[in-house]
Amino acid sequence: MPIRSTSTPMHEADPSNEPSLWHWLKGTWVDRTLLLLTLIAIIMGWLWIQQNLSGTPMVHIYHGKTLLATYPLHPDKPIHFEAQGDIGLSEITIDSDGVRISHSTCTTQRCVLSGHRHRVGDILACVPNRILVSIQGSQKLALDAVSE
Amino acid sequence: MNTSQSPRPSLASLEKKAYWLGLLLLASGLHVFEAAMPSLGPWFKLGLANIITIIVLATMGAKAAASLAIARVVIGAFFIGTIFTPTFIISFTATLASTTVMILAWRFIPRISLIGVSLLAALAHMCSQFIVVEQLFIQQIALYYLLPPLLVLSCATGWLNGALATYITAQLTIRSK
Repeated sequence: MPIRSTSTPMHEADPSNEPSLWHWLKGTWVDRTLLLLTLIAIIMGWLWIQQNLSGTPMVHIYHGKTLLATYPLHPDKPIHFEAQGDIGLSEITIDSDGVRISHSTCTTQRCVLSGHRHRVGDILACVPNRILVSIQGSQKLALDAVSE
Repeated sequence: MNTSQSPRPSLASLEKKAYWLGLLLLASGLHVFEAAMPSLGPWFKLGLANIITIIVLATMGAKAAASLAIARVVIGAFFIGTIFTPTFIISFTATLASTTVMILAWRFIPRISLIGVSLLAALAHMCSQFIVVEQLFIQQIALYYLLPPLLVLSCATGWLNGALATYITAQLTIRSK
């Protein structure tokens, strides 16, 4: 079988010649440059998102593109909201711990298992039911303004 | 009566097919194993099955790697019971995207190793998952808030999977000599 050379030269099976762990992990300078560029891009993206997420934290509940409800993240008493999705109801609870999807009709239940979210920028999503719960600052995101 | 018999396949060709099938079974097994593992968080998997795709890319070429990746997702979905569900659609498109990136990077980026290939594939997988979910299911730009931390995790898993693939490919090459 034709095998293109990998980054590391092939070694003899002699245990004394066995290369170190670092040898297998280091990659080539191209790999390291790609990693560095990616990390810079991720940090810049994260900083840009954080800049746009200031203001009083509010919980936005969407079904697809439709905004169903908006509540403050820290309400005086717990709020239970039933969001009608594509396959049934998703129950969203907002209390002192934050927001969570407390019940869902989806089969995977990943949204329910995700637990509480309480920071600005956090999201909860039930993909089969097309329900998204997002904690946003009261300041409008530049991205949202573009998409409208 | 004329009976036209096709020539018997060569031993080398049969051996190659058996090797590919063995790796497909291994990849499908890893796919199912990952689905059964406790979730490390929504949207996030270790990408163990991708190690096999990378090994096949390095040892058998782009066509074998692409067909293995597609077959693995379909077979895995049958076993998990997610075939033609949103999970399958997301997984299938993300696998197509990551395999395409993998093949293009391996072919066109000089001096890249399997680690770089795996890194780019992991990033492509994560980004395409988000794009598919945003376009088809959730349709809210707020979904992308989750992307930066998950991309950092993808960098870590992509790098480690690439290192593992490099090690396994080197061992396979030594043993095949």
